[in-house]
Amino acid sequence: MDDQVCPRCKTTKYRNPSLKLLVNVCGHTLCESCVDLLFLKGAGSCPECNVPLRRSNFRVQLFEEPKVEKEIDIRRRILRDFNKKEEDFATEAEYNDYLEEMECIVYNLCNNIDVVNTNKKIEQYKKDNRDLIMKNKSRLGREEYELEMELEREKQLEADRKKELLQIEQELKKRQMKEKEALIDELMSSHADAATIVSDYAKQAEKIREESKVVPVTKNEFSSGVKFGQQAFLPVPKVEEGPLYTYQKPILASEGPQPPKVEDIETKGYINFIRAENAVERAGGYRSVIACQRALQEALQGLFHSK
Amino acid sequence: MYAISSQRRYWTFGSEKEIDELRKQQNQNFILKAPRPSRGEEVDENNLSQFYLTPCEEKVLLKSYELHLRDFCRRFEPPMPKCIVGTAFHYFKRFYLNNSTMDYHPKEILATCVYLSCKTEEFNVSISQFVSNIKGDKNKAMDIILSNELLLMQQLNYYLTVHNPFRPIEGFLIDIKTRCSLANPERLRAGIDDFIDKTFLTDACLLYAPSQLALAAVLHSASKEQENLDSYVTECLFQNATDKLPVLIEAVRKIRSMVKAIEQPDKSFVRSLEKKLDLCRNQENNPNSLAYKQKMQKMLEDEDDIELGVNTSYHLNTSETSDGIHDASMLSVE
Repeated sequence: MDDQVCPRCKTTKYRNPSLKLLVNVCGHTLCESCVDLLFLKGAGSCPECNVPLRRSNFRVQLFEEPKVEKEIDIRRRILRDFNKKEEDFATEAEYNDYLEEMECIVYNLCNNIDVVNTNKKIEQYKKDNRDLIMKNKSRLGREEYELEMELEREKQLEADRKKELLQIEQELKKRQMKEKEALIDELMSSHADAATIVSDYAKQAEKIREESKVVPVTKNEFSSGVKFGQQAFLPVPKVEEGPLYTYQKPILASEGPQPPKVEDIETKGYINFIRAENAVERAGGYRSVIACQRALQEALQGLFHSK
Repeated sequence: MYAISSQRRYWTFGSEKEIDELRKQQNQNFILKAPRPSRGEEVDENNLSQFYLTPCEEKVLLKSYELHLRDFCRRFEPPMPKCIVGTAFHYFKRFYLNNSTMDYHPKEILATCVYLSCKTEEFNVSISQFVSNIKGDKNKAMDIILSNELLLMQQLNYYLTVHNPFRPIEGFLIDIKTRCSLANPERLRAGIDDFIDKTFLTDACLLYAPSQLALAAVLHSASKEQENLDSYVTECLFQNATDKLPVLIEAVRKIRSMVKAIEQPDKSFVRSLEKKLDLCRNQENNPNSLAYKQKMQKMLEDEDDIELGVNTSYHLNTSETSDGIHDASMLSVE
C-alpha cells in the first residue's frame, strides 16, 4: 500500500501520511483533498473519464485495485434488480444459466464491452420481471428486518447483563462501607481490646465474602440461541444393546473330506514333502505347516461339489 | 475357502447349457439394443445373422482369443506365475458371460484381464512394463487397458478373488506322497500342467470346483503314466463318503471329455469372423471410431476440464492412427 498515489495531485502516502483515497462509481480514484477541491458544489465530472459524478457517492477505497471497487459498485447495482433466488427456478440448470447471464452483464459493464446493449438487456429484464423483483425486494427487506431484530435482542441482553454486574458491584461496595463504619463505631464505643475487635470483624467480613462468592448462573443461552446449563443438554440416548457376544468356534465349510489336523500333518509325515521354513521366515511368523495345511485343505475342499 | 466363496456362489454354473443360455442372451441383448449403422449397406432386419455375429460364431471367436490369451501370457516378460494366467482366464470368461463380443472387443478385454489379474495376484508389473509386451502403439494400448480396467471390475461385480486349481494340485501331490505308495509322484507334474492348461480353454472352470479340476488333472496324468490312482481316491479320499463318489467320478469324466473335445478353431473362419466383427461392433466402444471420439469429447466437455484439451491422450487426437493396422497387431499373436 506504500505506492498509493493520487492520480491528480500526485501526492503519495509517503508525503502525506493521512492521505485517503476515495473512489466513485466510474472506478477512478482521487484523494480526499482533490475531491474537496473539485466537488465543491456537490457534483462534477471525473477528471479522467468525464463521467458526471456526485460527491456523496465517493467512498473510501478498500481495495488496492480501483477496478475492484468499480465492480463492487456495479455488482451492487445489478444485484438490486437481479435478485432472484434459487427457489424461483424450476431446475438447477436454469438457475445456473441465470447466474451466468448476470455475471456476463457485470463483466461487460466493468470492462466497457457492449455497454449500450447490456444496458438495454438490463432494462428489458427489469420490465419483464417487475413483479418478481418487487416481491423479492420486500422479502429481502423482511429478512433483513428479522436479522436486525435478532441483533437488537442480543444487544439488549448484553446491556442487561452489564447492568446486573454493575449493580452487584455497587452493592458489594456499599456493604464494605457499612462494615467499615460499624467497625469504627464499635472501636469508638466499646471497651474491649481494639485488636480483638478488629480481628473479629476481619473474620466476619471473610465469611460474608465467601458466602457471596457463590453467584448463581444467570445466563443459560448463547447469543445464537443454543441453550446451555444443567438441564440444557439432552441425556445421552441409550443404545439398545443386544445379547452379549458369545464366541463360537468357526466351522470350516468344506464340501469335501475332512482335511488332516495340524498335529496330524506333523506326525503323519505330510510335512516331509514341503520345504521347511528358514530362520528368516520363521521370524516373520511363517511355518511350513501353514502352507501344507492350506494346500491340503484346498485340495479336499469342494470335491463333493455339484450344482 | 472355495466352499463359501463368491466363485462358488455366483460364478460356478450347473451345466454347459446354462452357460450357453447366458451367452445367447447377451448376443440377443446386443442385437436388440445396438444402434443400426448409418453408413454402409442397410441391415436387413429379417436377416440379422448376416450382419451380426451369431452366438455360435461368438463362441468360436472367444475360443480363438483364449488361445491368444494363453500365448500372450506364455510370452510375457517377466515370466508370470501360473495363477495369473488362471485368474486372467477366469476374468475373461466371466466378462463374456455378461457382455457380448460385439460390444467390447475381446482383444482389448483380454489385455485388461491379464493386467487386472497381475494386480489381484500380487505380481507387480507397472503399466509401462506391461505394455512393452504388446506390439503396436504402446500409448494407445496403455489407454485402452487403463480405461477398460474399471469397466472390467464392474462387470465382474468386483468379485476379484479367484480360486485356481494350482494349490489343490500341490495338496494332492503332498497327500499322495504321504498316503499312497505311488513311486515318484513328481513325474506326474508335466502331465498335470498340460492338462490344466487345456482346461482353461474349456468352460470347465465355470462348472467345477478347483479341487475337482485338480483331481481330474492328477488322475489323467497318472493314467498317461500307466498308473492307477483309483484306490487312492476310493480308499483315502472317499473312505467315509462313498455316497458322494459318483458325483466326483462324473465330474472327472466330464472334465476329461471336455478337454478331449477341444479343437483348434479354423484360422480362415476366425479371420472372416473378425472382419464381420469390425463392421458390427459397437462403435461407441471402438477407440478408432468417430463415435468413440465424440463420446470421449462429450465426456471431457461435461467435466468442463479445459486442461485436458492440452493432454496428448489419444482420446483427442487419434486421427493419424485410425487406420486400424496398429490395432490388428496390438497383441503379439500370429
